Amino acid sequence: MNLSLMSLEIAVVALGLLVLLADLWLPVERKRMLGYAAAAVLAVLFLNSFTSHCSCAAIGESAFGGMFVQDGLSVFFKRLFLLAGALVLMLTVEFSDRVAAGIAEYYSLIIFALAGMLFAASSNDFAMLFVSIELITITFYVLTSFTRGKVAALEAGVKYLILGALSSAFMIYGIALVWGTTGKFNFNELAMVAGNFAGNKLFLFGVLFILVGLGFKIAAFPFQIWTPDVYQGAPTPTTAFLAIGSKAAGFVLLVRFLFSAIPEVTAQWANLLIVISAVTILYGNLCAIPQRNLKRLLGYSSIAHAGYLLLGVAALAGAIANGQSPTANAGAAAVLYYLAGYLFTTVAAFAVIVLVMRHLDSEDVSGLAGLHQRSPLLAATLTLAMVSLAGIPPLAGFFGKFLLLKAVIEQGAANPGFYCLAFTALVGVVISFYYYFGVIRAIYWSKDAAESSPIPLSWPMKLSVAACVTGMFYLGLFPGAVVNAAAQATRVLLH
Amino acid sequence: MNVGLEHYLVVSALLFALGLLGVITRRNLLVLYMSLELMLNSANLALVSFSRFNDNLNGQVMVFFIITVAAAEVAVGLALIVALYRKRQTAHVEDLTSMKL
Repeated sequence: MNLSLMSLEIAVVALGLLVLLADLWLPVERKRMLGYAAAAVLAVLFLNSFTSHCSCAAIGESAFGGMFVQDGLSVFFKRLFLLAGALVLMLTVEFSDRVAAGIAEYYSLIIFALAGMLFAASSNDFAMLFVSIELITITFYVLTSFTRGKVAALEAGVKYLILGALSSAFMIYGIALVWGTTGKFNFNELAMVAGNFAGNKLFLFGVLFILVGLGFKIAAFPFQIWTPDVYQGAPTPTTAFLAIGSKAAGFVLLVRFLFSAIPEVTAQWANLLIVISAVTILYGNLCAIPQRNLKRLLGYSSIAHAGYLLLGVAALAGAIANGQSPTANAGAAAVLYYLAGYLFTTVAAFAVIVLVMRHLDSEDVSGLAGLHQRSPLLAATLTLAMVSLAGIPPLAGFFGKFLLLKAVIEQGAANPGFYCLAFTALVGVVISFYYYFGVIRAIYWSKDAAESSPIPLSWPMKLSVAACVTGMFYLGLFPGAVVNAAAQATRVLLH
Repeated sequence: MNVGLEHYLVVSALLFALGLLGVITRRNLLVLYMSLELMLNSANLALVSFSRFNDNLNGQVMVFFIITVAAAEVAVGLALIVALYRKRQTAHVEDLTSMKL
């Protein structure tokens, strides 16, 4: 047993407990400041992960009999999650006036969900996968309905609960079938025997059921039904964390399960991944068009982005089916880069929603009217976020989509389905211009602004907005460093 | 008659299907939640029977994880349903319609 390998996770759990304890002694008016302290600790842990003191430096080691692995992939995702956690906590402090009671509990729940994501990044075993995914999901049930005075939040929570429990029931039944046929929980051991079971119906049913559970986490078609309602009803910081953290955790588990546990089966199923990816892109983009609620719109857009991310997964599956090449991991590397860009973009968008929609009952797009006069900085931030989500150069979203499409088109020679997929993705991007620019139009060109008072910005909020904008530009203009890191990280997926 | 692995698996598949049927057809949130628990327990039965017939204890350990997680899920879930009932005076799926388009 190698407990020191988990020191990062232990530190995060301890931080969550400390926040809960501090809640007992802090005077009421100081409690919201706990969020800044917790965000600062997460930022320090993030910076520390680049030094040799962190457990992240022990690449290639594993603990608990191979259940918990520390490799390039897990370290990349852990840094992503720590950064997301810190930014979301800063957002939550701004949101704290809308939480009736227990803001410290809200902070600590975010931190516990973060701990679940860190474990998910390292999980290399079905038991670990199940427990970490449930730690994230159950925490999110509470986070979704935390503002329990609002009917919409409760409704969103109950819908998430029922559909989440349904998907975990499918997943656990799938795990039972896969384990029953192969006798392996560990992904590496499973990979050695999975090829022999590629014709076993019970095993394939099990794999399909596990994919149902993971598809729910990433909101891929046809498991996306919960997304718009939960995004709309949940408190905005929860939505932001759901959009980036929960989705990224789903993707790291999906990629690890598909490519390190059952690569032979995945190679056979490349066409299934192509279809799911194409339908998810079209569904998300088409349903987003008539939306008037900004959070609901971002919910549909997040479905579309799950589809774009699945492009990379499908490309890697195609690459494995066609035999190995040194750049076969380009698809998975593009997924990692895209998630990094998506992190900055979504946090920026939700930060603006938290600040601008403070006094409004619903997050209607019309609430953005006159924003360019009330706060030019926030107007520019939301515009950049929308431009990046739409995929226009020179921002992060453009280069991410470029890498994903490049990886997909490279596979087209062997399987023409990939050309169709690339075409569908381009159609999706064009459709998405319409609704993203609808938001920008509401900021700059709407006539009847209900409010014209300037929006005050605290300096920590300025800092995190600036960090998001810098991240979007840095990833878009100088993608080299992150692309290389992502390519390094995904090398573990090639055997 | 000799009861073998297949019999247990058929029972567990039946339980899973019954639970799924309940989730699809029932409209009361509590009954729906009960059906979900039935689905989780069908997976437990499958794991235990595989474990017994393959002489491998790992599956039974997994069952403990599932029971623990399910308990946490029920605690949160019932609290949510009670909170919703207090607010809306209803526990029916049809009444969850405050968010549309």
